[in-house]
Amino acid sequence: MIKVGIPRALLYYQYYPMWKTFFEELGAEVVVSPPTTQAILSSGSSRVVADTCLPVKVFFGHVLALAEECDYLFVPAIRSVKSKIYNCSKFLGLPDMTKAVTPESPPILDIDIDINQGKRELYQAIYKLGRRFTWNPLKVRQAAIAAWQAHLKYLQLMSDQGLNPPQAIEGISNTTEVEPEKPPDNSTPPQVTIALVGHPYLLYDEHVSHRLIHRLEKAHYKVFTPEMLTAEELKSATVRLVGGAYWTYEEEVVGAGGHYLESGTDGVIGIMAFGCGPDSLMMDVVYRRAARLGTTPFMRLTLEEHTAEAGVVTRLEAFLDMIQRKKRRQAEACV
Amino acid sequence: MRMTFPHMGNVWVGVKGMAEKLGVECVVPPPTSQRTLSLGVKYSPETACLPFKLTLGNMIEALECGADTIAVLGQYGPCRFGYYPKVQELILRDLGYKFVMVRESMGVINMIRYLTNRASPREVLSGFRLGLAKLKTLDNVEQLVYKMRAIERDKGMATRIYRDATTAIVSAKDHKALKRAEQEHLKKLTQLPTVASPEPPLKIGVTGEFFVVIDPFANMDVEIELGKLGVEVQRPQSVWELVRFNPLLSVLKLREKEKSIRAAKPYLTQHVGGDGRQTIGEKVLHASNWDGLVHLQPFGCLPEIMARNIMPSTKETMPVLSIIYDEHTGRAGMLNRLEAFVDMIQRRKRRQAEACV
Repeated sequence: MIKVGIPRALLYYQYYPMWKTFFEELGAEVVVSPPTTQAILSSGSSRVVADTCLPVKVFFGHVLALAEECDYLFVPAIRSVKSKIYNCSKFLGLPDMTKAVTPESPPILDIDIDINQGKRELYQAIYKLGRRFTWNPLKVRQAAIAAWQAHLKYLQLMSDQGLNPPQAIEGISNTTEVEPEKPPDNSTPPQVTIALVGHPYLLYDEHVSHRLIHRLEKAHYKVFTPEMLTAEELKSATVRLVGGAYWTYEEEVVGAGGHYLESGTDGVIGIMAFGCGPDSLMMDVVYRRAARLGTTPFMRLTLEEHTAEAGVVTRLEAFLDMIQRKKRRQAEACV
Repeated sequence: MRMTFPHMGNVWVGVKGMAEKLGVECVVPPPTSQRTLSLGVKYSPETACLPFKLTLGNMIEALECGADTIAVLGQYGPCRFGYYPKVQELILRDLGYKFVMVRESMGVINMIRYLTNRASPREVLSGFRLGLAKLKTLDNVEQLVYKMRAIERDKGMATRIYRDATTAIVSAKDHKALKRAEQEHLKKLTQLPTVASPEPPLKIGVTGEFFVVIDPFANMDVEIELGKLGVEVQRPQSVWELVRFNPLLSVLKLREKEKSIRAAKPYLTQHVGGDGRQTIGEKVLHASNWDGLVHLQPFGCLPEIMARNIMPSTKETMPVLSIIYDEHTGRAGMLNRLEAFVDMIQRRKRRQAEACV
């Protein structure tokens, strides 16, 4: 059986169920790289120039981890998924960059997704990808439809049950229904809510984000993430802040940030990667909105390979203490 | 309306010419200086790229000079450049400035109509022609300056003539005066005393991100410094190259830009925004006729990082020196690296010549 490797990085968190279904329908076996470790990150960052952004370094670490494990490596170039909105440079040239910096990687399965080229091009791109496994266009079509269904199911699972991508992926791969652990929210007084905004590949990569979500949940905070918002909410907040998205994954930062700042959460934490071009400007937009509103505390957390866990924890504690103090003062004022 | 626009190399020469011809009041921002940079750095997001900071500084200084309308270009594409105006407008509004920002998003035609107070198309056209002619003249002079800097006997003369030429071109009122200024300065340049050297000067290409390549403040006069080291600079990118319209060459796809994009195809099939693809293309295209390549990039520039990751894997080889600019880049550091690079190429060339004998 042909083994297709999918690196557990970048767009994995957005599209993994879709990709997995597609390749499995075509009779391939899907191999995913293990969760990020320091070794993976170091091996990745040793291959690329120093000012490459953190998520891309992580990505190449995963590529190297998979190099021996699979026959093909799946590296898509997602150029555009909405009309006139393009992705960041790193995503556009990802297959070419993989060939250049990790020459030992297995042959690359690449696909160009660019909605601006029209439907015909899109279908042809999908067919071209499927051709590596079967000559039969109908089979590719079937696989693509199944993949799309899987993607919709994945999105539904996240928005209905309030799961985050790793939980949802686990829920899909274990055929048995997993009941998400319900924190005992009835017993405790009104919970403090914290919204995390940023790209999924930063929020859910536990090594990169220093288990931020776990830490917050362990301290009994209710965590909101961009996936929990509907597409309309994200879009309308983006339009309010900047008049419309410019980058493909802008809504999960500007849209989610804008929405949570205005919707009464107790604090918003913006997670960005050092060296990320879009984030450097998008997070500034969110920050300026927060400063202008002056109601919801906002913290920017920049992550990079040298970010120390203790530093993240200290800043997080200070931020949470501040929110608790604010809440207490408000409660006292009300009495 | 007092129109202004951020600096980028010598774009201002063309825009000023155009605005004067059309009778639009135009505030050219003060030349980019350390103060511009400091202002930009102070109010920009910390990891924004150098062009963002410099253009923001320009805007602030122009607004201080009394401008009330800012014209900016922000095209769609994957690089941060297209997002600049949105954030810069937010920053300037937060600082309390009152102004109108004219963006490309309102359509180029509307933009021109707005800026020119609905001048007739004929007037606009003649304004454009003069502006473009100025840019072309400047480009012609510049090309010769690159040659002369490498071989002139008294270092700095060519640069001085270039500055005079810029002043003359800016003050030229019509095409005739422009032609005269061009001929006069080209003649002066060709008459410069040169050094008698047995070897032709090294040819080193300068390429990379467009803004830092063409803006002498941003790149710390890298071309002048290379000239001082006796290097003939080859610079395919220029404002004139960007704006000129040559139907024949465009149709045949023979312009430098298209040639370099074709050359980069085996290594980078996709457009990655900015000039990333061209950078790789220049290396591939000129591996045989240039002695080296100086690659300029603002810190954190997305397309150029792609280029720098991919460039080492090309089959065509050429020494490449990447210089990364941000507000902390020191001039001395850059000079040292340039010197070492040029020395290395000279040694290599000499060794090759000996091996051939």
